Amino acid sequence: MLQKATFTLSDGSTLDDLVMRDTNEVSLRVMNDAELYKLEMERIFAKTWLLLGHETEIPKAGDFIVRDMGEDQVIVTRDRNDEIHVSLNVCPHRGMKVCTAEAGNAHAHRCIYHGWAFRPDGSFIGAPVEKEQMHGNRMKKEELGLKKARVQLYGGLIFATWNINGPSLEEFLGDIKFYLDQLFCRTDSGLEMLGPPQRFVLPCNWKIPGEQSGSDGFHTLTLHRSLMEGGIMGGTPESIYDNAPGMYGVDVSCTQGHSLRCLEAAQTFKMFSDMSFEGKTTEERLNMLPPPGVTKELIPQLFKNLSKEQVEQLATIPPQVGGIFPNILLAFIFAPRTDGGSSGALALHTYVPKGPDKVEFVNFIFAEKDAPEQVKRDMLQNSIQQTGTSGIIEQDDADTWPQIMRNSRGTVSKTVTLKYQALHGHERPEGWYGEGLLYPGFTKDDTQWNWWLAYYDLMAQA
Amino acid sequence: MVNYATAAVDKASVMRGLESKNRVPLGSEIYNRLLETLYDEAAALDERRFDDWVAMLAEDLLYTAPVRLTRNGPNKDRDVMRTMMHFDDNYQSILMRTGRLQKSAWAEDPPSRTRRFVTNVRVAEWENADEYEVSSYFYVERSRFDVAHNETISGERRDIWRLVDGAYKLSRREIILDQSTLGMANLAIFL
Repeated sequence: MLQKATFTLSDGSTLDDLVMRDTNEVSLRVMNDAELYKLEMERIFAKTWLLLGHETEIPKAGDFIVRDMGEDQVIVTRDRNDEIHVSLNVCPHRGMKVCTAEAGNAHAHRCIYHGWAFRPDGSFIGAPVEKEQMHGNRMKKEELGLKKARVQLYGGLIFATWNINGPSLEEFLGDIKFYLDQLFCRTDSGLEMLGPPQRFVLPCNWKIPGEQSGSDGFHTLTLHRSLMEGGIMGGTPESIYDNAPGMYGVDVSCTQGHSLRCLEAAQTFKMFSDMSFEGKTTEERLNMLPPPGVTKELIPQLFKNLSKEQVEQLATIPPQVGGIFPNILLAFIFAPRTDGGSSGALALHTYVPKGPDKVEFVNFIFAEKDAPEQVKRDMLQNSIQQTGTSGIIEQDDADTWPQIMRNSRGTVSKTVTLKYQALHGHERPEGWYGEGLLYPGFTKDDTQWNWWLAYYDLMAQA
Repeated sequence: MVNYATAAVDKASVMRGLESKNRVPLGSEIYNRLLETLYDEAAALDERRFDDWVAMLAEDLLYTAPVRLTRNGPNKDRDVMRTMMHFDDNYQSILMRTGRLQKSAWAEDPPSRTRRFVTNVRVAEWENADEYEVSSYFYVERSRFDVAHNETISGERRDIWRLVDGAYKLSRREIILDQSTLGMANLAIFL
């Protein structure tokens, strides 16, 4: 029934000893293991689709940003034909970084070491002192370009992979795309990144935030207790566990490991106001409480860009938080403001591995491109105050994750298992809108377990 | 807004010294009082006396920390990106943050032990009477839990302090961090 995994670590343990599919457990030792990390970089980060940024970061020909695919640094560029390219930031001459800036505009990237130069599409222009042919006489110029990744865009998000002949981005997203469309593809002009990402490094293994991004809703009640105390999620400190605000809804997931938590708009609405949703049409409901980040003026565009089922879901039980395997978290959340108003916070993070014991947290902050400037300004402030470096939500995560990794080093401690045994099982609610693995009710471990199954699948393929 | 030294077309800015030309000389009474205020502020934050710190803030406070970006070539000094920030706060949101720190903010419970070192203080007269532009360097050592290795962060603060009823209150602070990728795991502390 269960197929045998294809690697054995030097102490004799196999993938099945680490991810125990029969008991829904994962060995804590996976959270800091150099041998395993090397395999993860080969089998996951050099194989699957990775998020690098958003096309609004590089609007003009020649614009570039430098990003990381695991520990491989790449240059993401827009060329004169408006095409986006992702090339390894490694000079094929002597291995120097071809681009030493994090962002900018250049129609040629010249390596500062010996001067080999490359176009935005990665192709080789030439080496200095052309008459001496310093690129040698064995390889043609066409063979000396930067190594290129395969690129695909979705909702303006730039994804790339080294798996040139592998699954398409659409296949990779699978059933979750129906739900992601409601966030990324709902308006005519789409989303805009408001500035360069926040970047900071945490002393923890990438899988600790990674598995949490598999829609761990449950930790919110305890770790993010201050949200309840501050009235941001409704309820009072005394009734947090009785009322469990934000815990009920429908978690959606797929075999590729992605997931989203869909929360009832009526419940969210109750937290903000005493008005009821009952008897209201889809359009009326959307106008009463536009989805996070959407303004009333943009609501007609939702009907234009999304299917009837997608709009109906967005008005009733919108996807709000979740993740894309292996290392993306997304949050499209309502954020009451300290001045009494409320608007959205739209943030997306990548957790980029920087060794078995380090991860770089990259925080991308968005608004709808066609939203008024003041709305964008509010959303930027909301997202910064809630997420990322100083965000009151993620401050708490950043202090928790490193301690899990420290525990994973102990000889005895690392034999402890992470447990994903509070499972609901797939159940399709009546009249549900899309496909996928569906878990209605209280948020449980199903989606995170699917994250680990996706991990298992990739790690089992040499 | 404050301290826009250069408004570059690509929205990035160069940071160069004080905006104002009218220097308040080192050793003068005003300089000494402002320096004392910076030391008092650092002590209030290091000792986690947040009520004392909030009492030093003006209600029109703007408290920001733009991201830095590594640039090269002709743009090499345009590296302060005000389109994105690590802090984007005002008086109300600072109250929200300090209020949270007195309840279930696990990020600072147990708290960090911190030392804020404030140096290279330069003072100039600002546009309004009783307002002063104060730039200072800072360096923070932060000890978390029982970890033997401290997290650190350094940068420059570009402030406007206003004399109100005999005491200086902070009305603007822009924190220019030195790192583009922060080595500190969160900014649950104030800078």
